[in-house]
Amino acid sequence: MSFDAELDAKGLNCPLPILRAKKSLGELTSGQVLKIIATDPGSVKDFEAFCKQTGNELMSSAEAGGAFEFLIKKS
Amino acid sequence: MVKRLSAEQRRATIIEVAKRLFAQNGFHGVSIDEIVNQVGVSPSILYRHFDSKEKLYEAVLQEFSCTRESYVETIVDDDIGFETVLRGMTRVFISSIVNHPDLMKMEMHSQLEGSTASREFFLNRWKSFTDYIEYNLTELQAQGKIESINVKAAGLIYQGIIRELLLTKCLEPTDRFSETSIDDLVDELITLFLRMINIKK
Repeated sequence: MSFDAELDAKGLNCPLPILRAKKSLGELTSGQVLKIIATDPGSVKDFEAFCKQTGNELMSSAEAGGAFEFLIKKS
Repeated sequence: MVKRLSAEQRRATIIEVAKRLFAQNGFHGVSIDEIVNQVGVSPSILYRHFDSKEKLYEAVLQEFSCTRESYVETIVDDDIGFETVLRGMTRVFISSIVNHPDLMKMEMHSQLEGSTASREFFLNRWKSFTDYIEYNLTELQAQGKIESINVKAAGLIYQGIIRELLLTKCLEPTDRFSETSIDDLVDELITLFLRMINIKK
């Protein structure tokens, strides 16, 4: 799936990946997609909650090789 | 007639009792016999649920991590100001310990005796704060908003302040701070911390 910006949040504990994602989303325009890679298992629940509260769309959330990958479309 | 517990209820009861005993006496200070005696089951029933004492200890930690604190709300409602987020995160963390003081007691025991797994578990909880502090202070320095400081040391100072606060207010309450609420004390300590790193004049 294509994306417009990528954020590497590997090795960081929540809430830092969320904060950095919020910042990156701020630099995108509506409809653009941000890809985030994180390793904190807590990030799965946190990104769900973040998108629910901010209205951005969590397009996908997947695990591969010990890392978690999220695609978020800016609202 | 004594109502028989379902396997799931039995497992939950064993975890509850083990949590209390591990918090009181640490991992090495508790035997399987003690746990089964207090639960009122035979060792074979315990081993049906948990292969070993290590596995039971891990299950207790696992349960704590299910109730893991979320800092999302703190961030969403804020304009990403370092001070406000740090205060919000700290309040969330403190209330999680106030609600689960056994977790703090287990952490204290694990400092002395801990297995790698338990050390990692407890370190990881603090890492949310040290990561946040290190990242933001590095950024503030790059922007020239604060003087150059050792950001790792700043994280350690913060961790020390909050851990000591938790010991003082949650585990060994003393008269010295009996008239200050935990929230007020948190606010004051964070203000002192911010002054120390030259963020607050």
